[in-house]
Amino acid sequence: MVMPAVSVQNFSLTRGNFRLKNISLEIGCRETYAIIGPTGAGKTLLLEAIAGFYQGCGGRVLIDGLPVAETPAEKRRIGFVYQDQGLFPHLTVHRNIGYGLRMRRIPKDEIDARVLRMAELFSISHLLDRYPATLSGGEKQRVALARTMILEPGLLLLDEPFSALDPATKEQMYRELDRVHQVFGCTILFVTHDFSEAMRLADRIGVILNGELQLVSHPDDLLKDSYSPQINAFLGIQGSDDNDRESAVSIIA
Amino acid sequence: MALMIAAILGGGITHLPQALASREIRFSIGLSLMTSSISTAICILLAIPAAYALTRLRIPCRRLVEILLELPLSLPHLILGFALLVMFSSPWGKALRNAGFPVIFSANGVIVAQLAVNLPLAIRLIRTAFSEVDPRLEVIAGTLGASWWKRFLTITLPLSRNAILSAIVLVWSRALGEFGAALMVAGVTRMKTETLPGSIYLNVSAGNNEMALAAASILLFISALSLGLMALLDRSGRHTRIKETDQIW
Repeated sequence: MVMPAVSVQNFSLTRGNFRLKNISLEIGCRETYAIIGPTGAGKTLLLEAIAGFYQGCGGRVLIDGLPVAETPAEKRRIGFVYQDQGLFPHLTVHRNIGYGLRMRRIPKDEIDARVLRMAELFSISHLLDRYPATLSGGEKQRVALARTMILEPGLLLLDEPFSALDPATKEQMYRELDRVHQVFGCTILFVTHDFSEAMRLADRIGVILNGELQLVSHPDDLLKDSYSPQINAFLGIQGSDDNDRESAVSIIA
Repeated sequence: MALMIAAILGGGITHLPQALASREIRFSIGLSLMTSSISTAICILLAIPAAYALTRLRIPCRRLVEILLELPLSLPHLILGFALLVMFSSPWGKALRNAGFPVIFSANGVIVAQLAVNLPLAIRLIRTAFSEVDPRLEVIAGTLGASWWKRFLTITLPLSRNAILSAIVLVWSRALGEFGAALMVAGVTRMKTETLPGSIYLNVSAGNNEMALAAASILLFISALSLGLMALLDRSGRHTRIKETDQIW
């Protein structure tokens, strides 16, 4: 049996007044998986829990078969890119990309060579001496991806990575992510509230509402099945007839 | 304010050469610079971890801890000094003296008094600086393999650098002018625990107003210098931020 890249088993977590309830999901190796849900549904919290930022109050999260909570951060082989990229404002693009390598005490020459290679791959070689505040949204996203991918993580976690970008840049970044997936062969898990983004990029989609994973589906099947009124409302399906589904599909397309 | 400064400088500047030639004033300048520099260094070394703990760690009864730490800010310095006097007059204080670290009526007492007065302020200033650093940057650094210590050294500290430097200058200049608490703990003994403010007090008590004005002028110059330094730091911080953002726009 092939071990899943990510296995979330009956995981529960309480943060303030919010609770992730009994989440179970499995993500295969090299799969691209999207978690969608409205604002405040618990998408980012689930992503951060999978990254091991929080201890759950029940269940567990395994990455490559190892409990994430018991694995030191630097050995998790997880890359995390936030919605606002989280570039270090006091470091140049070059130093941002090389940050992870410096933390691993890689020799300077090797860091320089790998940063240059990564900058070429993401077409940001001309930005290496610039500071993050001088970059456009798309450039920042590329730098954040380069900084993460230079460590060759097995699992790439993306928190609404393209939500702040204009449609043209978004499309470029979709292609960029496809390329990252091909070149690095990593498993990708991203959260979004953009339905069309999930349909465009993901192999499977999980819908989360009020801290509960309501359904997991392949993009093509997502609008074919019948769901509860709550899920229908989120998916934009007013009723249960075929016309509503077709209109939802056409809007997303 | 301008009138007050003019009153001090008007009377003080003419006697400045005479004051600088005086062994006593030179001693008080030296003691003031030494005690305020040492107390500032200790203050910042203690304030940085305390401020970090208050902004980043889960502390039980955090609000109570914050109130206790900041309480001295609202206390008259004389009361703080009196509390220190009581504390260091206890058997514990005497044991310290026997161990070679006298506090009461010694220069160490000046340092301790300056520390007690300034530590809450330093913690508050640095806490504000740390709380302005997005904690998610530290989380991201963690996902990139940085240990807790490396995250602090490479992210939190550099991003708070200007605020910490400003805090150092402010704490140092406040320590330089500290009198009430130091008077209670160390007293003002000529050529022993006589700082610049102490020298002003002694000279006024002895009716030597010219020398007191000269000592006040020296204190004023040093304060103006540190204010200028603070403005420079602020400007350089702003300049760096502008340089970082004007490369493209």
